[in-house]
Amino acid sequence: MPSNRPITPSTLSAKDLLWQIQWDKEKCTLCGSCTAVCPVNAIELGVHRKRVVETALGIDKASSSIFKVYHGIRQKTDPAYACVGCAMCSLVCPNSAIMPLRTDEADKQIYHINRGGHPRSRGGRRNVPGGILDRIKFMRISMLTDPALDAGRHEFEIRTLLGRVLPPEESLQHLRENGWIPPVREIYPLIIGSMSFGALSPPMWEGLQMGVAYLNEEMKMPVRMATGEGGCPPRLLRSRFLQYVILQIASGYFGWDEIIHAIPEMQVDPCAIEIKYGQGAKPGDGGLLMWYKVNKLIAAIRGVPERISLPSPPTHQTKYSIEEAVAKMIQSMYMAWGFRVPVYPKISGTSTALAVLNNLTRNAYAAGLAIDGEDGGTGAAYNVSMNNMGHPIAGNIRDCYLNLVALGKQNEIPLFAGGGIGKTGNLAANAAALIMLGASGVQIGKYIMQAGAGCLGSESDRCNICNIGLCPKGITSQDPRLYRRLNAEDVAQRVVDVYLSFDTELKKIIAPLGRSTSLPIGMSDALGIDDFHAAERLSIKYVV
Amino acid sequence: MQNEYYRIAGKEQGERLESRVLEEKIQQAVAAGQRSLLIEAYGQHGLGGRLWKAGADQVQVRIEGQAGQRVGSFGFPNTSIELMGPASDDVGWLNAGAEIVVHGHAGNGLANAMAQGKVFVAGNIGARGMTMTKRNPRFAPPEVWILGSVGDYFGEFMAGGIAVICGVNPQNPDNILGHRPFVGMVGGRVFFRGPHAGYSQSDAKLIPIAAEEWDWLLENLRGFLVRIGRAELLPLLSVRTEWQLLAARSPQERGVAARRSMASFRKEVWDAELGMGGLIGDLVNLDRSPIPLIPTGDLRRFVPVWENRKYLAPCEASCPTGIPVHERWRLIRDGRMDEAVDLALAYTPFPATVCGYLCPNPCMQACTRQIAGMMPVDTSQIGKASIKAGLPEMPPLSGRRVAVIGGGPAGISIAWQLRRQGHEAVIYDMAKVLGGKISTLIPASRIPQEVLSAELERIRKVIPHVHLQQELQKGEVERLRQDFDYVVLAAGARKGRMLPVPGKERLITAQAFLEGAKTGAIQPGKRVVIIGAGNVGCDVATEAHRLGAEELLLIDVQEPASFGKERKEAEAAGAVFRWPCYTKEITAEGVLLASGELLPADTVVISIGDVPELTFLPENIATERGYVKVNERFQTSDDRIFAVGDMVKPGLLTDAIGAGRKAAAAILALLEGREADTAACTMIDRTRVTLEYFDPRITAFESPEQCGSQCSSCGACRDCGICENICPQAAIARRDKGGTEYAYEVNPDKCIGCGFCAGACPCGVWGMEENEPIG
Repeated sequence: MPSNRPITPSTLSAKDLLWQIQWDKEKCTLCGSCTAVCPVNAIELGVHRKRVVETALGIDKASSSIFKVYHGIRQKTDPAYACVGCAMCSLVCPNSAIMPLRTDEADKQIYHINRGGHPRSRGGRRNVPGGILDRIKFMRISMLTDPALDAGRHEFEIRTLLGRVLPPEESLQHLRENGWIPPVREIYPLIIGSMSFGALSPPMWEGLQMGVAYLNEEMKMPVRMATGEGGCPPRLLRSRFLQYVILQIASGYFGWDEIIHAIPEMQVDPCAIEIKYGQGAKPGDGGLLMWYKVNKLIAAIRGVPERISLPSPPTHQTKYSIEEAVAKMIQSMYMAWGFRVPVYPKISGTSTALAVLNNLTRNAYAAGLAIDGEDGGTGAAYNVSMNNMGHPIAGNIRDCYLNLVALGKQNEIPLFAGGGIGKTGNLAANAAALIMLGASGVQIGKYIMQAGAGCLGSESDRCNICNIGLCPKGITSQDPRLYRRLNAEDVAQRVVDVYLSFDTELKKIIAPLGRSTSLPIGMSDALGIDDFHAAERLSIKYVV
Repeated sequence: MQNEYYRIAGKEQGERLESRVLEEKIQQAVAAGQRSLLIEAYGQHGLGGRLWKAGADQVQVRIEGQAGQRVGSFGFPNTSIELMGPASDDVGWLNAGAEIVVHGHAGNGLANAMAQGKVFVAGNIGARGMTMTKRNPRFAPPEVWILGSVGDYFGEFMAGGIAVICGVNPQNPDNILGHRPFVGMVGGRVFFRGPHAGYSQSDAKLIPIAAEEWDWLLENLRGFLVRIGRAELLPLLSVRTEWQLLAARSPQERGVAARRSMASFRKEVWDAELGMGGLIGDLVNLDRSPIPLIPTGDLRRFVPVWENRKYLAPCEASCPTGIPVHERWRLIRDGRMDEAVDLALAYTPFPATVCGYLCPNPCMQACTRQIAGMMPVDTSQIGKASIKAGLPEMPPLSGRRVAVIGGGPAGISIAWQLRRQGHEAVIYDMAKVLGGKISTLIPASRIPQEVLSAELERIRKVIPHVHLQQELQKGEVERLRQDFDYVVLAAGARKGRMLPVPGKERLITAQAFLEGAKTGAIQPGKRVVIIGAGNVGCDVATEAHRLGAEELLLIDVQEPASFGKERKEAEAAGAVFRWPCYTKEITAEGVLLASGELLPADTVVISIGDVPELTFLPENIATERGYVKVNERFQTSDDRIFAVGDMVKPGLLTDAIGAGRKAAAAILALLEGREADTAACTMIDRTRVTLEYFDPRITAFESPEQCGSQCSSCGACRDCGICENICPQAAIARRDKGGTEYAYEVNPDKCIGCGFCAGACPCGVWGMEENEPIG
């Protein structure tokens, strides 16, 4: 682009961009790897004219003006080709000659990424780093007041219950009268939250499932994973691995006819059914799988034609109120597996969560409630929804738990928390904090993408292009040219590593509290925070 | 062992002594020289430890009764302790060398943190025995000998020492090692004999018993059995095959978890359950094996395409005649000046007259170089040089004939094109010489007469001209239509547009003025007012000045649209432009404006455009706003009658020539019975062109050769070879296709799709396309 040219309001310089490519002419070997790998074509080979004026000292010789041309890597400044900071260029550069740097100044690009009147949409999660979970301390160290435990040598029972637990007297009565006793699963409290086959690439999804199967069968850890709203591969539906799967049903009902067809052929029941009403990253908004991700494979699994965009509406069309939604949806889903499989709804974090919960307490079938907080991730949503909509998970889960305590039902309806757990890498601490605030278990998504497959996305607005199918790590792409960068086996291994290390870390947290055989659900006397108002709000101790 | 013991009772006057008091008594006795002590214990703590006051002397401690916890804690190497019954917890706690014999069972925590010394137990022990034991390299390792079995969590965090568990009369015959032994074990060895229920595999491992270790065990076993008084058991315990030896894993061994590999799990569990290809093996048969980040071939995300001449250069695209100007520069670069000159004749019969002199050169206005602020390549140079263009040999006549009414640029252009394709085109025109406005109206100052004459002569040689003596009358076109295959209307716009104001008869049209000026038939006087300040008005002003006019005023109702050479020359002649001026009347004095102002004039010229004469047209020729209506092929409502030039739409000379060329192509297609080729190429995106290779300091071009060298040849390969050299993979090669033909080709097995070729190409010939979708 010539330097002297007419400009438009959206003509930006490199300085105006969020991510700026720093390129070192001295180190560059012009190998072409960076431009070949850049997912968004933010860089290109540039031809540069360089002038040197040579003038002899003393001016006793004629001076000369020499033009030379050199080739180098140039960043495009058109916001349509803005660098996303993924740094794949740095990854492939043999000489460390190139790297994106985040602007040291206020982002100007943000004002220009709505061209054509389309507000920005992206993947990832709320672009706000950190959160309150990291500030919660575990400050009730029992040591000598309870038998001191050692995470390294004591035996732990890290398990939680998914399903409606009847009060003992009711349970006994049902038993006596041959009544229905709700199915309850004993599972590992760290659940891989729902991410659809479609949002995720084949090796990513298979890798997660394989890792989960390994943990169950080789490590005897009853880890569960939810499918997300994208159906479930027919082979998985007909395999014994289905028992490790929580099938999600959401407003698009993608793939559910295939699931129905598979029911008669299932060897085992699925772990549970999750009814998705909302998602923390984009509460009140639906999903959208863009047409370019809907290839033959995804179309087959979802039961739709190829190459069409698949929107999931924000709401289920046949539901009009909480009561109705809960009652009829839960009934239908229980019925599909002969009332043998727990069914629970998942909602986005909201100040109205209590209304949902109170309805569930009155519904004898409700197997639990999952709440996804504002820091949850997504493959595609409007930036404005992601950044501004939703409710933090800590306060939401706490309110719900204390509400159950007030009703005397805290041991009957398990709450599951999601959204930003492990956002800064502190997975076990965040999970333990939520469990002690009242969650029976936690769901993770983004964390397992980062830890399990090297997702580069972050809350500094790095990468976050899951929505356009160009994931440079092959995690959220349906293009074999990208997803073959990822090996399902490696993902599975990382899932196993993550769970084993999480397991140890969780023990390191709960052992000093004197807990080993049951999860410290709601054990909030162990929690403290150095913020008075947060402490008040969460009903935990204010510590300084 | 001494026979005489110094007796210390743990009870005095029926009162149990505090542990502190008993300890004082023991220490005092040792300090006093007692070396054999018999302690009657009543649960006191820590008996037998810390007896350093005896120095190097051996101290014998015999404990009867019920000892408390931590017998022999902080034990010294000079001390030998013998419990005559069972022991409580923590026997030998932090023992630093004492030998302790327990003639019975022992409780929990036996030898915890023991660093030196030995503990012999004649029975079983409780939980957490041998935990946190160490071996200091300065001393011999601590030893624990158990005749029976050990309790739960044995050997936790064991960091050194030797334990021997004989398994005689164990508490649990099925498991002599207890529950979860050796968690966190990092050092030491454990000999054991009997069944167990597992141990921490990640910390400990079974190893074979080496000969010297067996010898050591046998030898020391004898001593142990003697010390506990069970020597008779030696044969029972001497069966080597019944013993096992367990050692701590080294840090290096710990890293390797004894887990099934994921590869094995995938193959033997995952795929076995799901079927070949795993989760989706039944749905896709694509290769899903891992690939590197920078693949080649089908796996490249982008593919370079050598799009030579796929897009029009801006000069070519913006030339109404459609001359590929950059192609002419290429020929000049190749040293083929003659061909560069001749090439133009394929497009225009007036390469010198128009391109060199009369055309405002839209090609130059469009030149890509200007986006970088550089001078456009000067087309007029090659235009002027085209006077030398030689008349090519014309093909023999086909017998198909076309009548062209009007010998101006449009008519000549179409006749020229048809003749070049072997068809006869006869021009009907009233002028003596062909050329239309070029010959009759354009001031001589604008073009050397010899250039125009030479080009008209070149035309005259091949195009027959019927010199009409009078205007065509109604009905004559129909006759021509019968005699010829096609008729082309190209009579131009020769009727000056008039103003409906009083005194309009005093006006002279610009055409009449310019014609008269050329032939010398006009004397404009000193003051000339020109109504209509466009380029033709400017020509009038220039000519009027040449003929002696001194006050030249051009008026217009709006800001004058004149530009370029015409405007400059008029201004140089002293012309004044005024607007907005609304003419009310033309009087003998001059122009009376609506404002009441009178603009005095000797001559008033009206130059507000020309309209075609349409009265001679057949009824069936549709017109629109005074012009002949045509379709995109210049065909009128009569499909055998075409119309081009100013009869259709006023325009530049080059517009008329271009229209002639396009209409000729349409007629040729009809003559040859094929569809006219209307597929229009699009112009290249100028941003594909790289101008950094060119010298930005050039302000004027000295020669056609210099022009050629500075043309970036937008969209057409310069054959510079930069792509071959910039390609990091050496994937691009030039292939000679014979003659002057060549192509740059990409080897897909080497190419990584980096786009360097596209980035470096001066001409913008290389395009990057997304590779074909997979799956």
